[in-house]
Amino acid sequence: MITLQGVSKYYQSSAPVLKDINLNIKPGEFVSIVGQSGAGKTTLVRLLIAEEKPTTGKIELGNWDITNISPGVIPYLRRQIGVIFQDFKLLPRKTVFENVSFALEVSDVPGARIRQIVPQVLNLVGLGDKFDRYPGQLSGGEQQRVVIARSLVHRPKVLIADEPTGNLDSINTEEIIEILKKINEFGTTIVLVTHNREVVNKLRRRVITLADGSIINDESEGKYTL
Amino acid sequence: MRSLYRIANFAFQDIVRNLGLSFMTILILVLMLLSVNTLWSLDIVTGKAVQMVRDQVTISFYLSADVTDQNTTELKSFISTFPEVVALNYLSREEVLKTFKDNHKYSPEILQALDELGGNPFGPTITVRTREPGDYRKILEALSVPEYEPLIESKSFSGNESALDRIQLITNRIEGIGFGLSLLFAIIAFLIIFNTIRVSIHSQRIEISIKRLVGANNWFIRGPYWLEAGIFTLLSIVITMVIVFVSLSWLDRYIGIVLGNQFSLTDYYRSHMLYLFGSQALAVLLLTITSSSFAMRRQLKV
Repeated sequence: MITLQGVSKYYQSSAPVLKDINLNIKPGEFVSIVGQSGAGKTTLVRLLIAEEKPTTGKIELGNWDITNISPGVIPYLRRQIGVIFQDFKLLPRKTVFENVSFALEVSDVPGARIRQIVPQVLNLVGLGDKFDRYPGQLSGGEQQRVVIARSLVHRPKVLIADEPTGNLDSINTEEIIEILKKINEFGTTIVLVTHNREVVNKLRRRVITLADGSIINDESEGKYTL
Repeated sequence: MRSLYRIANFAFQDIVRNLGLSFMTILILVLMLLSVNTLWSLDIVTGKAVQMVRDQVTISFYLSADVTDQNTTELKSFISTFPEVVALNYLSREEVLKTFKDNHKYSPEILQALDELGGNPFGPTITVRTREPGDYRKILEALSVPEYEPLIESKSFSGNESALDRIQLITNRIEGIGFGLSLLFAIIAFLIIFNTIRVSIHSQRIEISIKRLVGANNWFIRGPYWLEAGIFTLLSIVITMVIVFVSLSWLDRYIGIVLGNQFSLTDYYRSHMLYLFGSQALAVLLLTITSSSFAMRRQLKV
């Protein structure tokens, strides 16, 4: 599903952020990427969503070589993957419904289909009664659920979650992880970037540990070892 | 078609849900357009005033009393060949005498002296108006040849030469100042509109990056902003037009005192409405679209 071959990332006149990363994530896997601040986790996410290009190496997502993807094709790539961020990244002047439907509108999905899918997805994440609320009127946990609904609505094969529980309390964290597990059960590949020890240890799934830009550990049923 | 409808929908949503910023943007555009129209009106009024002064400047050629009709016709045809000549008025000997008598009907001494001279001592008069006061010199030079000089007894220009030079200088200065002011206003208008739109886009930079992250292409992101620019332009032009016409209807009575009642700025604006407001709308639209595209360029790179 996701393949990285010899990927390195350097910024001008600084030490490499990622060094010779070789990684293969199979379809349907639930992978946690852990590491301390500055380990290169966020850079890895930015490479996967084509916000950055690798200095060296090759990245494939599905059957798509995104190593040197052209700017015009990036929107099409992003419609194939779901992304969840710690700071939610919701459009503040759009309602819950509009935030989720926006992801379909950019893909030119007909209005009738949008009106059918969006309520289903919002019900799935437990926000069936908050369609007309604006992000500012929701709690952190609810906002993150809107983001999950938005990332799911176009049925992506891969869901990349960058510190999705970073701004949430333990109850909301548990709820979000449960939703991610449920999504994974439907066959979606999940890449979870986190430094939440408890979450990783409870999951008992594959854990990739990054330190100083390199993979130092990759276990199929791992634990948070840092 | 569906995308266009959605882009229009997003644009209207943005305007309504961001009412404060939309209001401020329109207000600044209206203020700028009002400044431009004020300058434009001033330019029209000073242009009209200068033209009125120019129209009153003429040069008269007083021909000898013994000049023949053939000589007069030749001279008139020769002067008419100059492209600078916009009007030529001819008074025959009889008409000159009649005018003289009318002008001095309350001066019996002068009329008595005229009778003592016997016959008509006046020659015909040719009065010429040129496009520019500076053009008179060219005509005078052309007539200072042995062929025509004996026919002309005197000219009314020599006494007015310095006055004409001053008028020429003043009108040139007014035109120069008008052009300079217009240029300055154009630069100020450009900078203010450019910055207003830039601030408006900058405040939405996070939204633009989010739209990019969920897979919106550049057209889908730019479209609503371009449409908003069009709506802001249209609204600001309409508001400006209303303010301009209301102000002009009040101002016209004062302008009429100075320039005469035959001139009305309202009539001028009405007859040139398409040109005046069309060119302003086009300029603002181009400026707002260019500014928004320029401001978004950075955000759309990611």
